Amino acid sequence: MADQSINMLPDPVIERYKRDLDVTLIIENLKLTAEERFVRLMKLQEFAEELDRAGKQKESGRD
Amino acid sequence: MTDFAGLLRALGKTEVEFIIVGGAAATAHGSARLTQDLDLVYSRQPLNLQRIVRALAPYSPYLRGAPPGLPFEWDVSTLQRGLNFTLITSLGAIDLLGEIAGGGSYENLAADTIVLDLFGIRCRCLSLRRLIEVKRAAGRPRDLEAIAELELIFSRQ
Repeated sequence: MADQSINMLPDPVIERYKRDLDVTLIIENLKLTAEERFVRLMKLQEFAEELDRAGKQKESGRD
Repeated sequence: MTDFAGLLRALGKTEVEFIIVGGAAATAHGSARLTQDLDLVYSRQPLNLQRIVRALAPYSPYLRGAPPGLPFEWDVSTLQRGLNFTLITSLGAIDLLGEIAGGGSYENLAADTIVLDLFGIRCRCLSLRRLIEVKRAAGRPRDLEAIAELELIFSRQ
């Protein structure tokens, strides 16, 4: 069980954000080790950079 | 891309005392959000400053977002004169923080850390409970969704 000692009242704004979170992604992530989570993050970064590069290439092709 | 493994190995090799905080700590705890840099709170002890300089020197640290050509010297004296440094290196982006809002210094945070074995390096990482507290205390609107996710993770442990 988690340490339930977070001594903070629920924040209504944060509670609202929780409703829109994709819990399935969190569940999948929690199955990984901490190191595996970083490896996944680096792959995600690489993918984001590739999307960015492709987008810029497309834009420059229009000029 | 930030080479988290490379940065942690470089710091571990010279036995730098640091705590992983921010988005990278959130990743360690299970966050699915994308973060671009490695945020660390570092000990300001003189020996540790020397270790940081030695660890990152091979990777050409420079002030992130600053125009090229500024007289930025990567040495102990520079670290002593400043507190928080947002840097770009050949391994990617790293923030070296002497203090963080709502959390304080390395010494203030050290008791609220967990030890992780990452890429062969034993690293201190801010505990999930403290990470939530720090992010809440910082009060940045952009952190709200991240806090929501961290609290959900906390409730599932």
